[in-house]
Amino acid sequence: MSGYDHALKYWYPVAMADELDTGQSKHTKLLNTDIVVSRSNDERLDVNAAGKSLAVQHAYGHAWTTFSDTPYPLFAIPESSEQERRFVPCGVVRVSCSPLRAVENFLDIAHFPFVHTGVLGSEPHTEVYKYDVKIDETVDEVFATNIKFFQPQASKSAEGGIETEYIYRVPAPMAAVLYKTCPPKPECLDVIALFVQPLDEETCDVWPWMALYDDTSSMADLIQFQQLIFVQDRSILENQMPRKLPIDPGHEIPTKADLTSIAYRRWLKKRGAYYGAFERS
Amino acid sequence: MSTEPIGLARDLAPKGVMRAQVGQTDLAIWRSTNGVVSAWENRCPHRGMRLSHGFVRGESLACAYHGWHYDCSGKCNYIPAHPELEPPSTIRPNIYSVVEQAGILWVNTVADAKPVSLPNDLIALRSITLDCNLPSAIDAFKAAAKVDAALFNGTVTELSQHPKILSLESPSGANGIVILFQQPHPKSVVAHLLAKDVYQTNELVAVSRWCESVRHKAEQQ
Repeated sequence: MSGYDHALKYWYPVAMADELDTGQSKHTKLLNTDIVVSRSNDERLDVNAAGKSLAVQHAYGHAWTTFSDTPYPLFAIPESSEQERRFVPCGVVRVSCSPLRAVENFLDIAHFPFVHTGVLGSEPHTEVYKYDVKIDETVDEVFATNIKFFQPQASKSAEGGIETEYIYRVPAPMAAVLYKTCPPKPECLDVIALFVQPLDEETCDVWPWMALYDDTSSMADLIQFQQLIFVQDRSILENQMPRKLPIDPGHEIPTKADLTSIAYRRWLKKRGAYYGAFERS
Repeated sequence: MSTEPIGLARDLAPKGVMRAQVGQTDLAIWRSTNGVVSAWENRCPHRGMRLSHGFVRGESLACAYHGWHYDCSGKCNYIPAHPELEPPSTIRPNIYSVVEQAGILWVNTVADAKPVSLPNDLIALRSITLDCNLPSAIDAFKAAAKVDAALFNGTVTELSQHPKILSLESPSGANGIVILFQQPHPKSVVAHLLAKDVYQTNELVAVSRWCESVRHKAEQQ
């Protein structure tokens, strides 16, 4: 099965659930194919490709679609049903890079002091301490746990620098979910997810989505914070060569801090998720 | 690939980083705090980030993505995520030969850089990019020199036989300029201008403006 065939089996976000007024439509792309997203009534969005209607489901603030008649189920995010949380779809950032590079960057903490300086990291707090990574075979997802990192402004709700705890989860090749310390509610974890819409192998639309405990920040401020972070990431992502992600060892040299990235690349290779990879399956 | 002029030495100040293209190779060129120039493949071995986006710390170039430091020999000497770690000596970008001569930075991506020998009464004036092919650029400079011969005391002589160098002089040899051509892309030419050291400042400004007018003509063809 080629990387393209493998990619066809998944659900992808193509719009925010509240995007478009009734009667409006927009043209976009998914896996090299032109698609049209439209709203025929108030309830739901429709997606069409070459006149054919595609399956649509609404979840986590977005409309998701798939080309497959027998897709893998959309992964679960149980926190999405916790009604005390603020659910924040953050809009879209288009990036000229492989969708896999966008996910891998989201799983990386060592860049915080250099790319998100004064926000998610700062010198001299650059050390990445030992953390744990595993593939959970029961759900076939990548998990990284016990990550701790000093952050000057961990979130909109943080007051001053704190040692932040992170847990990463990769439930699908083009999605990642982060659980991190919630400054106003230390017993809980904020959820920040990255949903990636692959336009083609070297272009993606990134849809960040958050489920937070934060009763004070305005919606605009929460979105602004996340957009700032991702635009900083874009300056890196559009300057990595090659644009596609090398998933075989040898092209790029990792270090201990890259355990999550190493596991992610191995996991992609094992499943044949070569769409957006530098190598061909 | 021969030795290519990629820029003026004075345009790369200490702690500066620039980007250049030689043949198929994308390069990061940088100057350390103490003035040492290096020319490397524009790619961090760690995660492929363009090193031309990096920043200079002392005698090292640091990658913009994770701050990995590389010394002037190309060796990785610091990984901020693991401050106590001695980085393996195998971590290094591809490095190329670069020399400074006649105020120009010369790079060779396959062998030692051997600059073209030039008269020693020249000063490097500026670099200018033309969106055209190499023959159009050279023809435009030749044609304009004949029309605007005042810059060369009224009559202009072409001296160089080198295919990518144009030397324009007055018959006495007292006034003149040398243009080094470099072609980073098929439809883009960089012209590095050197002028005889007899020109006054206002005359150098005139030469510089003349080159801009040549660029307009070359790009309109």
